[in-house]
Amino acid sequence: MADKGSDPVALWQQMIGEMEKGFNAFANQTMTSPEFSKAMNQAGGASAGAQKQFGDFMEKYLLGMNLPSRAQMIGMAERLQNIENQLNEIKVMLQQMNAGNAPSVYSGAPRPPRTKRPPSAPSAGSPPTGEQK
Amino acid sequence: MNAPVGLDLASIPERIQSEVQRAIQRSIKGVEYFSTSGPALGSTPKDILASRGTMNLYHYRALADEVYRVPVLIVMATTNRGYILDMIPGQSFIEFLLRRGYDVYMLDWMAPKPEEKSLGMEDYVLDFVPDCIRRVQADSGEQEVSVIGYCFGGVLSLLYGSIFPDGPMKNLICFTTPIDFRELKLFHNFADRRYFDVDRLVDSVGNVPPEMILSSFEMLRPASRVTSQVQLWENIWNDEYVKSYRMFDRWATDTLPLAGEYFRAITKDLMWDNKLFNDTMTVGGRKADIADIKVPILHAVAEHDHIVPYEAARHLIAKVGSTDKEEVMLKGGHVSLVAGANAIKRLWPKLDSWLAGRSI
Repeated sequence: MADKGSDPVALWQQMIGEMEKGFNAFANQTMTSPEFSKAMNQAGGASAGAQKQFGDFMEKYLLGMNLPSRAQMIGMAERLQNIENQLNEIKVMLQQMNAGNAPSVYSGAPRPPRTKRPPSAPSAGSPPTGEQK
Repeated sequence: MNAPVGLDLASIPERIQSEVQRAIQRSIKGVEYFSTSGPALGSTPKDILASRGTMNLYHYRALADEVYRVPVLIVMATTNRGYILDMIPGQSFIEFLLRRGYDVYMLDWMAPKPEEKSLGMEDYVLDFVPDCIRRVQADSGEQEVSVIGYCFGGVLSLLYGSIFPDGPMKNLICFTTPIDFRELKLFHNFADRRYFDVDRLVDSVGNVPPEMILSSFEMLRPASRVTSQVQLWENIWNDEYVKSYRMFDRWATDTLPLAGEYFRAITKDLMWDNKLFNDTMTVGGRKADIADIKVPILHAVAEHDHIVPYEAARHLIAKVGSTDKEEVMLKGGHVSLVAGANAIKRLWPKLDSWLAGRSI
C-alpha cells in the first residue's frame, strides 16, 4: 500500500484539517479584537430590534389570518418531541421484551437494595458492553 | 519518469478499486442519509418525576441488582439537551452509571416559553436545583445526594453548593466548568460591555433565541461546520461514522433558548463582573462563595476544550474549601470529554472509580 505521504486521499484530508485549523486560528484572532465586538454588536443590536418589530407584526398578521404563530408552532414541536421521546421509550421496551430481556424495574415496583459496595480493587474500567453486571 | 518517493505502484489498481467502491457507496448512502432519520437518542428507560416549565426531572430505571446508597443527580447545562449523556445503548453515560450500580436522576431543561423570560439566576439556583434535590431525596429515601454538573450545569451546582454548604449534597463532580469568565476570551469579547447592550437585547426579544446561542458556539470554530460536512461526505460510506456524526450533529444543533433575565444575570454578573471568580457572587441576595463548599469534589477538564478553555476552569479546585478535591485533565474536547469513544475510555471509568467509594 502507498504510505501516508503519497496517498492522495490522506493528503487531501490532511490539507482540509490544516485549512480548518488555520482558518479557525485566524478567525479567532480577528474575533478577539474590540473592533470586531463593536461591529458585531452594532449589527446584532439593529437586527434584534428589527427582528422584534417584525415578529410583533407577524404575530398580529398571523392572528388576523387565523394561522398559528411561531411560538405556537414551537409549542407543538415541543409536544411532538415529547411524544417522540415516549415512543422511543416504548420501542426500546418492546425490543427488550422481544429479546426476552424485559426490564425488571418499573415505576412503582420494588427497587434494588441500596447495598452495593465498591469493588475492592477498582478496575481500570471498561465500556458498557450491554451485558448485566 | 520516476514514481514519487514512497508511492507503491503495485498498490495503485487496488487503491483505485477501493476509491471507486467508496464513490458508489457514497452515492447510495448519500441518498439513504437524506431519506432516513438518525438513531433514536436518549432512550434509556426513565420516568419523569417532575416537569415544571423549563425544568424536567428524570429518574432512570435501575439496570443493576443492587445500587449504591447515595443517588446521583446530573444537572445539565441550560443551553443544551441532556441526551448528550444518553446517546445510544453502549454509548450512553447514563447506561454506564446504571450498570455500574448508581441510582441516576437528571435535571434536564426544556426550552423556556415566552412567559418564562423572567426566570432569573435565583430561579435556577434557589428553586429548580433545590426542588430537584428534595424530590430525589423523597424518591430515593436517602438524605444525601451526589451532584454531577456539566458545563454551565456545573456552575449552577457550584452556586447551589456554595449557598447550601451544610447539605444535602454529599459529593460534587463538575465536568468542564468555567469559573473565570474573563478567560472565555471570545465569549467575553462578544459580550464586551462597551458594545453589547444586554438590556436592549433582553428587553426586545425576551428569551435569547437558540439561533443566537448556536451562532456564538459556532463562531468559536467558524470553519468547522463546513469541514465537518466535507468529512461527512468523504466518510458517508462508513455507517459507524455516519451514525456518530448524526448523533453529535443533532445534539449540537439542538440548542435551547435562554430565559431573558437569566441571560442578563450571566452577562452582567459572570461575563462582565466575573463575580464567581472574584468571590462577590450573590444569588437572590444570598452570598455564593465557592470557598464555602466543603464536600468531596472532582473536576474533569478537557485538554482541547475550545468552549471552556483550561484557563477558565483551572482555579475551581484551588478555590473550593474542600479538603478531598481532585482535578483531572483528560484528552478530548468539550463534548468528547463526556460522550463518544473518548469518554467511554477515559472519563467514565475515572468517574466510577472516584465516585464508587464515596457513594456508600
